[in-house]
Amino acid sequence: MASKRLIDQMTAILGPEGVISEREQLRSYECDGLMNYRVVPDLVVLPETAEQVQKIVKLCHDEGIPFVARGSGTGLSGGALPVEAGVLIVLSRMRRILEVDIPNQRVVVEPGVINIWVSQAIADEGYYYAPDPASQIISSIGGNLAENSGGVHCLKYGFTTNHVVGAEVVLPDGSVVDIGGGKAPDAPGYELLGAFVGSEGTLGIATKITLRVVRKPEAVSTLLAAFKDTEEAGDAVSGIIGSGIVPAAIEMMDALCIEAVETAVHPGFPEAGAILIVELDGPQAEVETQFQQTIEICEEAGASEIRIAEDDAERALFWKGRKAAFAAMGRISNDYYVQDSVVPRTELGAVLKRISEIGREAGMRVANVFHAGDGNLHPLVLYDNDVPGEAEKAEDVAGEIVLICLEHGGSLTGEHGIGKDKMKYMPKMFTTDDLNVMQLLRCAFDPHHLCNPGKIFPTPRLCGERPGPFRMHPVQKAGLAENF
Amino acid sequence: MDNRNDSLDPRQSGNPYDAMDATERRTDPSTAQDQAGAQAVGAGSPQDLPDDTFASRGAVRQTVGIGRSTETGSYVFPAFDDHHPPEKDLIDDCVHCGFCLPTCPTYVLFGEEMDSPRGRIYLMNKALTEEPMNDQMVRHWDLCLGCMACVTACPSGVQYDKLIEATRGQIERRYQRSPQDRAFREMIFQLFPYPNRLRLAAAPLKLYQRFGIGDRLRKAGVMDMLPKRLKAMEALMPMLTEQQEVPEVTAPVGEKRRRVGFIKGCVQRVFFSDVNSATVRVLAAEGCEVVAPKGQGCCGALSVHAGREEEFQRFARNLIDEFEDQGLDNIIINAAGCGSTLKEYGYLLRDDAEYAERASAFAAKVRDVTEFIQELGPVAERHPLPVSAAYHDACHLGHSQGIRRQPRQTLKQIPGMEVREIKEAELCCGSAGIYNMVEPEPATELGDRKAKNVLNTGARMVVTSNPGCMLQIQASLKRMGESMPMAHPMEVLDASIRGEPVETLLRQ
Amino acid sequence: MDTRTQNVSLEDLQNIVGEQHAREAAAEDAIDGVEPRFVAEPGSVEETSALLKLADGAGLAVAPRGGRTMLHLGNPPRELDLVVSTARMDEVIEHVPGDQVVRVQAGMRLGELQERLAGSNQMIGVDPPEERAGATIGGVVAANSSGPRRYRYGTVRDLIIGITVVLADGTVAKAGGKVVKNVAGYDLAKLFTGSLGTLGVIASANFRLHPLPEAAQTVTVELADTAAAGQAAQAVLHSQLVPSAVELDWGEDARLLTLLIEGVAPAVEAQAEMASFLLKGFGEVRVLSDEEAENLGPLEPAGGSAGADEVTVKISAPLAELTGVLDSTWGACSRRGVTPRATGQAGIGVTYVSLSGGDEEAKVQVVEELREIWVRRGGSVVVREAPAAFKRRVEVWGPVGTRLELTRRVKEKFDPRGILNPGRFVGGI
Repeated sequence: MASKRLIDQMTAILGPEGVISEREQLRSYECDGLMNYRVVPDLVVLPETAEQVQKIVKLCHDEGIPFVARGSGTGLSGGALPVEAGVLIVLSRMRRILEVDIPNQRVVVEPGVINIWVSQAIADEGYYYAPDPASQIISSIGGNLAENSGGVHCLKYGFTTNHVVGAEVVLPDGSVVDIGGGKAPDAPGYELLGAFVGSEGTLGIATKITLRVVRKPEAVSTLLAAFKDTEEAGDAVSGIIGSGIVPAAIEMMDALCIEAVETAVHPGFPEAGAILIVELDGPQAEVETQFQQTIEICEEAGASEIRIAEDDAERALFWKGRKAAFAAMGRISNDYYVQDSVVPRTELGAVLKRISEIGREAGMRVANVFHAGDGNLHPLVLYDNDVPGEAEKAEDVAGEIVLICLEHGGSLTGEHGIGKDKMKYMPKMFTTDDLNVMQLLRCAFDPHHLCNPGKIFPTPRLCGERPGPFRMHPVQKAGLAENF
Repeated sequence: MDNRNDSLDPRQSGNPYDAMDATERRTDPSTAQDQAGAQAVGAGSPQDLPDDTFASRGAVRQTVGIGRSTETGSYVFPAFDDHHPPEKDLIDDCVHCGFCLPTCPTYVLFGEEMDSPRGRIYLMNKALTEEPMNDQMVRHWDLCLGCMACVTACPSGVQYDKLIEATRGQIERRYQRSPQDRAFREMIFQLFPYPNRLRLAAAPLKLYQRFGIGDRLRKAGVMDMLPKRLKAMEALMPMLTEQQEVPEVTAPVGEKRRRVGFIKGCVQRVFFSDVNSATVRVLAAEGCEVVAPKGQGCCGALSVHAGREEEFQRFARNLIDEFEDQGLDNIIINAAGCGSTLKEYGYLLRDDAEYAERASAFAAKVRDVTEFIQELGPVAERHPLPVSAAYHDACHLGHSQGIRRQPRQTLKQIPGMEVREIKEAELCCGSAGIYNMVEPEPATELGDRKAKNVLNTGARMVVTSNPGCMLQIQASLKRMGESMPMAHPMEVLDASIRGEPVETLLRQ
Repeated sequence: MDTRTQNVSLEDLQNIVGEQHAREAAAEDAIDGVEPRFVAEPGSVEETSALLKLADGAGLAVAPRGGRTMLHLGNPPRELDLVVSTARMDEVIEHVPGDQVVRVQAGMRLGELQERLAGSNQMIGVDPPEERAGATIGGVVAANSSGPRRYRYGTVRDLIIGITVVLADGTVAKAGGKVVKNVAGYDLAKLFTGSLGTLGVIASANFRLHPLPEAAQTVTVELADTAAAGQAAQAVLHSQLVPSAVELDWGEDARLLTLLIEGVAPAVEAQAEMASFLLKGFGEVRVLSDEEAENLGPLEPAGGSAGADEVTVKISAPLAELTGVLDSTWGACSRRGVTPRATGQAGIGVTYVSLSGGDEEAKVQVVEELREIWVRRGGSVVVREAPAAFKRRVEVWGPVGTRLELTRRVKEKFDPRGILNPGRFVGGI
């Protein structure tokens, strides 16, 4: 529990409405989108301005109190999991779109702004914000930035990191810096913004974010193709990419996933072993040519049915089905454990086969929904928390899947982040030196290890000498790390 | 400790009707510490602790269920007892994805987890398993408008409607509200479900309105001196028109296609009797014999939304009695809020051996009037009404009943009618049953937001299916110095079938 | 030389990289007139690591070097003892066409790599003009070089997906991987992009690839004045055209805005037609021959025909301010008898200006005036190329604002003894 003194100090910064210190209220913040880990924060604060964030962080820094930033709390790796004896800084009230600058193709927002609001704000101008994580109706731009969120359309348009061009950041010592060029490109100096985006809230808190927005394409065509199994669908994916087409999106769902989605949002998907949703966008003539090619490739790969979205409404329905996939698992299973590993596209077939074998051996159902174009898998291991031991078993299966993906030259995570959830696998992907060098960056930003500690790195590295009187570092105090 | 009794609940101090917005949902910080302290020492029974350390003053009115042991070995006494608590299975459907947050009006307003469906469900889980009931919890549940936008948004199919209703039942039985709060709520429930009382209460309003007393008082600032909740009620009162009674039986025009029952509603009957008359005329025009039993009372929707279980059951049984022997094909309702509850009768009376089956049979016949007309297929000739109308989805029609297409279709079938969509259509207008009377401030914010979006459509009029929404949007428009003609889809359709000029609608 | 290098002999270096791969430096190895003492060419990551460890221990100032095409970028070195050339590390480590990813050693020449990738109908979407002069992958990453096609494909930071670096103390570390989508750990590949060898030596890098476009057309419009240039660029940006490049060419003899349109043949045809239609309101439109189209892009790197005292600056500005960039440049130059010539990516907000004529003082004033204007408006003016004497008068990068302190901290963590390219980066780093 937070001390009365800290509560008073925070109240002085935020007013009583910005400070939450009641136990059961704090408990509703004890986890984010990932419920496997729960930590009740000492205090939750809800700033409304960048100045307040700066003051909160400064106060935490001066008092040696660790803090964690949280947006909408939809993250799937526990990135916004509070830290014990720490302050949770919730940015959901910083939700103003500060500037829409169409001539410069920029929108400036506060971190709590919901992803889709950006596109809504500029739709009338013929523009949109390209990164579209499945959670785009609720996830915040600040959270997207922290996680370097992807989305179904990032195959062609890139990830959050390719669309954030500037940020005002409150560093863990309470100082404020502008990184990235913002409206002008190529700011001299280190590419700090590129390192900051995707740092999972461990390097500071962005309080003002400049986004690059893009012109809506002239034409969009979407099809849905049904296949006998994921292997056939995988052949189609290879065929499309191999032909030189860069689809805006290419997504795959397996039978189990189709079943769940159909129950949840009734998109009218055909019964199949696997379906692909392929979307092409761009100049009319290009889309027409390549769409025809895509249809042919799908047919050659053995598609039993191909549906073409006749209008925006039908296209929206296809995507609604896809984007609701995770949450829809609630319809067929009480609990699920989601993975986010990535494999080189050419390894997809082999990896999918191994995954189904692993599931079968363990007697667990594994549903697959994934970004086929970039090899980003989302195996969902279904289990029932009320059956003793199932949760552990599910985690084991998920862990095995991760290791398989690494063996095939992949990555632990494509878009959900390492957070708390995948920390323990980091040494499987990186050497100690790799991790130590990454932490050099952290030490430059956060020498006292106060900003979202205990995430990403399984062994926190402390940053040597610290100015001011000696204080035992909280991580040290908790026995989590030694000074080295 | 004393300090907690004095200041914990804003309702206990100063003006009892003072606003309870986010800024006042704070408590003395020491309380949280006290509670934690108590749990840390592993207090074993409620007697071990002073009442107010452990749970709120009100929570221990009835026996507190059985203590459950926690991981730490201490015993806690959860907020809910075993009489229809929110079902654990339904709670477990929530995967914490947060997709409900942006559609939740209170999350939109306050940006706090506890004031979102996800947060409320999380609290329910805690209340079910470990946490005692206290003022904060109740406050966050009270603030829910019950608009069910989250039900629409939820990809996991969480039945939040059932969860919140069960929660409200628990609150009603197990939580002691402040005397003022209780009195106000009681006043509402002694008034609104009873058309005769409502009519009597409304009569003086007619004079008051006719002579513009309200406007004068408002200008003079006198209104500002009224408690906020009463002010909220005053602002919502519509201009009253002369009562039109719906006959007990209305013959169909032409060949009889269906024999239907008609539920007159409470607020609808008193404040919007025109809507009822129009509905009956439309139904008759579409070939229905319309039966409106004289003895019918309230459907109990307001009660069930407020967790007043027994009161609801009384109303529901009465209504079933009135309608079930009439040989009806369908039972028609034109108020969204009533409709959603009527359709749930089977579930809501599931424990009632005598009525359970009859309630299900009744519920199966219930149709919203637009739903019914589209199901039946329109036959009456529609005359042109060249006008643009913004259609507002009442939450209890769109979110609770999933009826969005039918009212639009009903309007679009009228030649010349242009239906415009309202931005943030999924967001509640703040009316939400009695919400705008018990929680005036968030309701007002939502109402103004809705009114702005309505104005931005540039339409000539607003059409919506719920009396509460009409009152709410009208009040907001008035506050903004704007006005816009409003109508129920049945009034519009009635005007079209009768071939009235569009001006008739725009005069309303 | 000074005492540092006395601790290290050529033999020490040769022991690491082999006798024939380390030598005493020659005059041609000088950077901005500062001569190193040794040049070493490691053949592997291990050798690079050993070299740096040695240098770090002895406190030798090290300059990593690739194809020597961008050595003019940056402030003159504060110190320089050892050049570490990546020339021998020039292999493609892995290229799986189906994955559209390549892993390549830093010393590989970009041009050669592009040729090899073209065999699979693929390319890296980076086309800096230095490519023709033999720029290496490591150099392109370190200097963050870009060319016309950045309009479509972005810059190195958008295409690099993994990196292996050797830090000053010899630590070898990697980040990212060989999959396009990957958020595991910090994105050090981006951090090293444009770091000009001040954080470590880049040993290899991984990139995402794009398919080679099957057809191309170039449409150009001749404009009357700078206002028309700004308007034409805006018209293109806000249209649904998807060109690969939107290039400006502005000087005594040219006032052109040029669109490079690439893709499948029918689409290129249709887009070129749309572009012509869109642009004809701004001036005379022509569809260029392939040869003319070759001349797209920023100024040729120095060493060619450019005068020895020529100064090239890069102006970064909000992209809607193209007219202002041109007007301010011509204004500043004409008052001081300096002749400007501008090229650049009009669709991005990058303009390269070469300044000729006038004396050094005049050019110094032009740069200072432009910098004053464009830094205030959120942009930057970087001196890309200039005689060493000029660079000693004008700090080449300009101010970096509030992030200077943080930038220094990053440098201190990665290179605590400051041996890598001392003095050449922003803020004297």
